[in-house]
Amino acid sequence: MWVFLASEVMFFTGLIGAYVVLRMSHPAWPGSEGHLNVWIGACNTLVLICSSTTIVLALAASERRDLSAVRTWLLLTAALGSVFLVVKGFEYAAKFSHHIVPSTNVFWSCYFALTAFHALHVLGGIVFNLVVLAYTGRPAWWASRGRRLELAGLYWHFVDIVWIFLFPMLYLF
Amino acid sequence: MTSASHASVRLSLTIWAWLAGLVLLGVILSELAILPLPHSGVIAVVAGLSTVKAGLVALYYMHLKGDRRLLVFVALVPFLLIALALSVVFSSAFVRL
Repeated sequence: MWVFLASEVMFFTGLIGAYVVLRMSHPAWPGSEGHLNVWIGACNTLVLICSSTTIVLALAASERRDLSAVRTWLLLTAALGSVFLVVKGFEYAAKFSHHIVPSTNVFWSCYFALTAFHALHVLGGIVFNLVVLAYTGRPAWWASRGRRLELAGLYWHFVDIVWIFLFPMLYLF
Repeated sequence: MTSASHASVRLSLTIWAWLAGLVLLGVILSELAILPLPHSGVIAVVAGLSTVKAGLVALYYMHLKGDRRLLVFVALVPFLLIALALSVVFSSAFVRL
């Protein structure tokens, strides 16, 4: 998992590096076509941070062998991840309704590319969490596969860390 | 719940409070322009806050704080490679100038 995460770090840092170089060469940023709502972005950041905490609480419940609590915290984590994606979907819809698309200018190309790749990772994390949630259905499954919760947690925290950097870059700078 | 587990949950919630507070602080510093700094200075401060938040998640939620050094090495190598790559990009940009 750590080697996979290292490759993911390089993937996102490559994208972010390209964004920084483009940002520095364009003084008018994001341009006159439109702006992002900082408070929606901040709320979505808080949602992801909450989901990171809930998966930590799922892991703590797993160490206590409290499967019922593991189930609750994992469901909450997946739900918060879904909220993040729904909010992102509304943001996309608002931009599309104002005819802002990836080809509008270089900022919006970067915005849609970075956020879409991140959203795909969030979706992957939600699926991973739901798979681990399914293991809680039977104690025998949990005994043999419960350790995957730790891997799901590592992946989810990685997704959170990526957004922690994307949010200020896209919404605040 | 054992006392160790209780302490672990309390630590997780404390880290959550710090993370949420730092997010709000970054937004306030950036949006309300209350710091007597140029825009580049504000960017540096907010980027520093993001690094602190990422560090808190990595150290306390991903348990890098108490993990083996090899794992820390695996996690840090990409950052070092990217820092090297970015320094090459920016140094070439300065040479062109």
